[in-house]
Amino acid sequence: MTITERFNAAFVAGDRYKLYISGLGITLEIALFAAILGVVIGTILALMKLSTKEDGKPTVFYYIATVYVDIIRGTPSVLQLLIMWFIVMASSNNGILVASLSFGLNSAAYVSEIVRGGILAVDKGQMEAGRSLGLSKAQTMQYIVLPQAMKNVIPPLGNEFITLIKETAIVGYVSLADLTRVANQVASRTYDAFMPLIGAAVIYFVVIKILTLILGNIERRMRKSDNR
Amino acid sequence: MKKKIFAVTVAMAMATMMLSGCGSSSQSKASEAVPSEAPASEAASTEAAAPDAGEATGETLIVGTNAAFPPFEYVGDDGQPDGFDVALIKAIGEKIGANVEVQDMEFDSLVSSIGNKIDMAIAGMTVTEERKNMVDFSEPYYEAVQSVIIPKDAAISSAEDLKGAAIGTQLGTTGNFLAEDIEGASVSTYNKGVDAVNDLINGRVDCVIIDKNPAEVFGAQFADKLTVLPGSQFDFEVENYAIALPKGNTELADKVNAALADLKADGTYDKLVSEYIDGATEK
Repeated sequence: MTITERFNAAFVAGDRYKLYISGLGITLEIALFAAILGVVIGTILALMKLSTKEDGKPTVFYYIATVYVDIIRGTPSVLQLLIMWFIVMASSNNGILVASLSFGLNSAAYVSEIVRGGILAVDKGQMEAGRSLGLSKAQTMQYIVLPQAMKNVIPPLGNEFITLIKETAIVGYVSLADLTRVANQVASRTYDAFMPLIGAAVIYFVVIKILTLILGNIERRMRKSDNR
Repeated sequence: MKKKIFAVTVAMAMATMMLSGCGSSSQSKASEAVPSEAPASEAASTEAAAPDAGEATGETLIVGTNAAFPPFEYVGDDGQPDGFDVALIKAIGEKIGANVEVQDMEFDSLVSSIGNKIDMAIAGMTVTEERKNMVDFSEPYYEAVQSVIIPKDAAISSAEDLKGAAIGTQLGTTGNFLAEDIEGASVSTYNKGVDAVNDLINGRVDCVIIDKNPAEVFGAQFADKLTVLPGSQFDFEVENYAIALPKGNTELADKVNAALADLKADGTYDKLVSEYIDGATEK
């Protein structure tokens, strides 16, 4: 078979390119929902981990969050997905929901560490200044520390989102037809793995490259106020 | 700018290396796999004097299978692939005087791996025209038909009922292709048949289309929840299982076919059928 014939078999014949598009759609859908869930839960986990009692000792929330992060980081995400799919949410028919939840809960553990690092990177004096001006601990956190932490957090958070997009490639395990799975399906039909796999890799690369550019742009804008 | 030029050069160099790498590996094909294995097996036979491996000529055949297709192939208690196909190919290996090394891999990558990563594949694989474009097949060694597994109380009984249904299948199997041709059906593909069956029990799919024998094994395992319907009820065609061989390698094909005919003549084949296939569905 010539290269052109192989290309046709992998992308054109039987409108196969539509499969890749719908596969990419599912990949992005799962990654997006998971990222939102990850940021929300991850931020909560980070605050739980930083919470202290009056005497400076960690609260019960600290232990809950620590155990959660340890469990998630200590098990492979493909196992978490299979457990979510076949055991925890075995009765759910919404595959995208189950996958998003699984990846979101996974991502939250990593995001919590990112956010915690971002908050800790804000100078201690900021909290002290806020407190001495009469703001409560929560108010200082909300109005002074978190906005500054945001800027620290954006670059690693973008990195986490990119990782998430690639990590969703394992949803084929539970029969969701994401981009990687679609490439496998086409390869199993044409018995030629080269074109579908390279094609899928190129699509992932382009999507992530675009995302990198967007994230770089956001970062630059946030740094504008640094230059005075 | 300099950095950019450097990056582009590196990228191009890598791309060339990748492409040339692919080219050479597909050209050298099986010839590469055999000699590289030979020293190891020779060393083994001189050192340990393997008890029942027979007088191996030093040739090792790497046979691909997908050990998730009972009773034809499954992972045995010792962690090694076992089953009818595995026993059959080992018997064939003995007849033609070659060591057989069975390698477990994904079903959908078997056909494209023949000739480069594996020397042949035995995996309850049906002879189809599309596959014939890529590989040669031995004489058929088993006749089968697709079956439909449904939940006990489901109202599916004819080809008409499958239209628009959610169907679970194993990726790259004839059941998978057959399901995709059913009007309006939404097809879910799984790496393993048992995953599809689990999702059938969980209610994510309406039915599972899979070869008759694994269907019966799964049906027996979940007898309280599932029913297996014969493919004749859905006008499915009878299929032939055969061993997939590298395209154009008639020498190997002749050897395998002769060994297969021998095994059928001397009763070994029937013994394996009763041991593995009839035994599996009785329990």
